[in-house]
Amino acid sequence: MTAPTGPLGAVYDRGYRPYEDMLGGRRSAVLALYRASIRRALGMRRSWRQKVLPWSLLAIVTVPAIINVGVGYLTRDTPAEGFEFITYREYVGVSTALLLFVAVTAPDVMCPDRRHRVLPLIFARPLVGSDYVLAKVGAIATILSGFGFLPQVVLFVGQMLVSDAALDYFRDNAEVLWQVPLAVLLLAVYYAAIGVAAASLTSRRIVGGVAILALALVPSVVTGAVLSTNDVEQGAVAVLNLLALPIYLRDLIFLGHIDPESPLGGVSGGAVLAVVTYVVVLAIAFAILLLRYREPDA
Amino acid sequence: MAPVPAFAADSLTKVFPGGTTALDRLTVTVPQGSVGLVGANGAGKTTLFRLLLGLIRPNAGRVEVCGRPVAEDPIGVRSRLGFMPEHDCLPPDQTAQDLVATLGEMSGLPPRAARQRASDVLDLVGLDEARFRPIEGFSTGMRQRTKLAQALVADPELVLLDEPTAGLDPIGRQEMLALVSRLAGFGISVVLATHLLDDVQAVCDHVVMINAGQLVLAGPTDELLERPGTVRVDVGGANDALVQALTARQLRVSVLEDASLEVDSDGLGSDDTLNAVRDAVADLGLPLHALSTRHSSLDEVFLRQAGER
Repeated sequence: MTAPTGPLGAVYDRGYRPYEDMLGGRRSAVLALYRASIRRALGMRRSWRQKVLPWSLLAIVTVPAIINVGVGYLTRDTPAEGFEFITYREYVGVSTALLLFVAVTAPDVMCPDRRHRVLPLIFARPLVGSDYVLAKVGAIATILSGFGFLPQVVLFVGQMLVSDAALDYFRDNAEVLWQVPLAVLLLAVYYAAIGVAAASLTSRRIVGGVAILALALVPSVVTGAVLSTNDVEQGAVAVLNLLALPIYLRDLIFLGHIDPESPLGGVSGGAVLAVVTYVVVLAIAFAILLLRYREPDA
Repeated sequence: MAPVPAFAADSLTKVFPGGTTALDRLTVTVPQGSVGLVGANGAGKTTLFRLLLGLIRPNAGRVEVCGRPVAEDPIGVRSRLGFMPEHDCLPPDQTAQDLVATLGEMSGLPPRAARQRASDVLDLVGLDEARFRPIEGFSTGMRQRTKLAQALVADPELVLLDEPTAGLDPIGRQEMLALVSRLAGFGISVVLATHLLDDVQAVCDHVVMINAGQLVLAGPTDELLERPGTVRVDVGGANDALVQALTARQLRVSVLEDASLEVDSDGLGSDDTLNAVRDAVADLGLPLHALSTRHSSLDEVFLRQAGER
């Protein structure tokens, strides 16, 4: 056996290297927190278990689009042509999966910071409480927008490709190119704000999740009960259904008025009532968040 | 031009709702380098850190960090600071690498540089191999090192360390102090808040002592340690005449268990007290078995100064 020749290796101390370039400021800090929150919500850089739920939900919300396009393709030469499993407007209302996503991810991006007392590390960086709120709500709203928008892209592109005249389809449905993003954005910001606000009130994820679901579902049940007690199907009280509120705004965007068949339909000034309530709910959510993070490590 | 102090507080006062006075007209200028901020639990060390970071506002007074006024520019101040809290503050399900890189980005590093520097500082603090493991499996020492790494990742001008050796075993404590003592060599000023005066004595070249929110004393560690201690003299038990002679010279004398005498040199200073004791022994013609001086430890300095207030 011959002895190895040459250097066997070296033990060395890499020491410390100063950072010579300019550091980013507050904007960089907020963007970094925003990116970190998105990664966390999507389970990135985490175990596979953390990835299952968000990506499963994305798959679930895409299923209607795939079915619609698939059936449209299979029946393109048959009398079933023109099959429409779900409309663009209705698709914005496929919100149960999005609500479930918020109930899982909003507490996951908020509660550990408080529970594990990470906030002092974050607020020792060049950002303030409102930046923290903006980054967290922005992260959840961005994912919800993505989850709400991407299936619609699949639907639109798929429908266009399976139609006989793609350009005609594009021209006939061009208005959805602004209607869908706007409606999805309003829905995403709404769910993100109330989800993050509810999650900010507790340091336990499970409590936060339950609180978000309760916040969405209890008013829905209560307003339904009030309407049925009065033996009516419609009434102004329906605007307090927090789950349905962004759906009324969606209808305003797509139809120009509240859907006459919705619980708020037929209510005089229903559209204004819906918009005002939407703004008030958002204002309350942001007020809670800003108060909660006014003094970071309190 | 005079060097910019690490921080300077002027009549800094913080009273919390409920009436607790955490800091009471604290005025002190702290130079760059390694500074020990010492005081008992509840002395106001952590409150001072929160004021330096701009996380809370003072009721009165002002404070500047690295030459920048905290009240007017808290964001600019935080860009130059690193902070290692006392309590556990690490998310258990993240890896050290991911956490430190993310916090580096939040400090203004570009993502790629943040990842690189996270690797470097984790290597520096001795977590090279463990940095891709979730923090929940870390020992107390590894957690403390991770906290130190996140404070250093963006190359701060000043790093605030709140009780960095808390909960560490003796070996871990020595390793942490060795790390802290290296920071000044990297051009990073350190303020080390602790109630363990031995830690300060080991690594700091400047000391600020506070008690009940007030400044007790501040100055270079060496100067504080050169403050008068005691002179010990053994004349074989023939103490009575010597006690009388020393008392007549206004010196405070106490007899120890082994029949030797301890003379407090607080009034004259170590050298003059030593000379006075030597002269008294010679004048009385006593046999001199032993004569020595002993400098104060920081504990003694702190206890004496705090007791005088």
